[in-house]
Amino acid sequence: MDVVVIILTVSALVFFFATTVGLLRFPDFYSRMHAAGKGDTLSSLIMLMALVFYNFHEFNLANLLVSMKILLIAVFIFMASPTATHAIIDAGYESDIEPWTKKPEEES
Amino acid sequence: MIWQLDLSILSLIVVCAFATIMVKDLLSAAIIFGAYSFLMCLLWTELGAVDVAFTEASVGAGVSTVLFIAAVHQTSRIVKPRKSGRMLSKAVGLVAALLMGLVLVIAEADFPGFASPFSPASLHLSPYYITQTLHDTNVPNIVTSVLADYRGFDTMFETAVIFTAGLAVIAILRRYKRDDSTEIPESYTISEGYPDTIIRFVARQLVPFIQLFALYVVAHGHHSPGGGFQGGVILGASFILLAISFDTRMIIGLMSEKSNILLGNIGVLIYAGIGFLCLLLGANFLDYSILSKVLPATDKIMARSHGMLGIEIGVAIAVMAIVISIYINIISHGKYDKG
Repeated sequence: MDVVVIILTVSALVFFFATTVGLLRFPDFYSRMHAAGKGDTLSSLIMLMALVFYNFHEFNLANLLVSMKILLIAVFIFMASPTATHAIIDAGYESDIEPWTKKPEEES
Repeated sequence: MIWQLDLSILSLIVVCAFATIMVKDLLSAAIIFGAYSFLMCLLWTELGAVDVAFTEASVGAGVSTVLFIAAVHQTSRIVKPRKSGRMLSKAVGLVAALLMGLVLVIAEADFPGFASPFSPASLHLSPYYITQTLHDTNVPNIVTSVLADYRGFDTMFETAVIFTAGLAVIAILRRYKRDDSTEIPESYTISEGYPDTIIRFVARQLVPFIQLFALYVVAHGHHSPGGGFQGGVILGASFILLAISFDTRMIIGLMSEKSNILLGNIGVLIYAGIGFLCLLLGANFLDYSILSKVLPATDKIMARSHGMLGIEIGVAIAVMAIVISIYINIISHGKYDKG
């Protein structure tokens, strides 16, 4: 059980790291939000799964209930986080932020 | 208590606090302030004050950020550069602040040492609460019992303060006449706000669960962190979510101005009414144990528990109505018309 928890936590941290690097290094608003939205959702989900497994050290009803609640948080994040990302990107598109392109003449 | 974690969170809080003051863009300042509140919430969780952390997360990081952003949205986003020649007022302010600090430092010298185990509060009061709460009131969460029972009088006036704040916002912002001569600043628009199917669908799916969770927080405040204030704020936030993703008019259709004020009144009235009920039955104000005479199948101890539940419900109703009405007033220039 411990092995599963450690693997999940470490992979979640890797994804969090990738999210942070993407957020800092990507060239424009849209790709940064792409990194933040995807990485955040996935790594939070994996981290919560790790917590669910960690909670099952002693299997009883109380632990089962707590794990159910953590799973509900996971469902909430799974719905809310991509929607929030969508809303932010949509607001950016509405206020005419130009996407980044590779053409050199665009960098005026 | 992990002191490295505490230290890093605390230093981040200080950074956030300075950034909030220094940033010229008010929208960024509001968002950084939200981050500040969230770090504060983490710090309180780390210190073991989960109820306070819950309040900070729902009020500070959630609703007040939304209210700030709504206010920025309606006014201007950039701080205008101050005109110089204000040195005198600045100097007066500095002197006043220094004097006040001096007075506070002098007054602080009379206090017992920080977290001293021999201060009167930790000698007499805290051990009593910690050992006797479950026996007295049958409520496992000590914070709730102290807040709603032992110190119920304070909490009643806290609720009244929130109600008064709502009334003040309505008194300042609400405008009844259509053609008001007051100049409205050009609102800063982020997007046109056309109907977005994805956001609307998800908001519509999530709102019932948010409200269910809020009711759970209100009703379960005896056994776990939470209570009337947090639950009421979450209920109000669910309506604000609807107002943002759909239309403010729809929310006004659901919760009209009259029903908002009425609900705020009813909330405070439930609280005070339970207190007066105790008085009528022959006990002290807000002494719930006497309620066992009117509540069926309860002894004196369970009656205190039920009394707390009653006032928590009152607090939740009042807070919810006030949060919604403040939001609607800010977002619509007090005219209750646009989205």
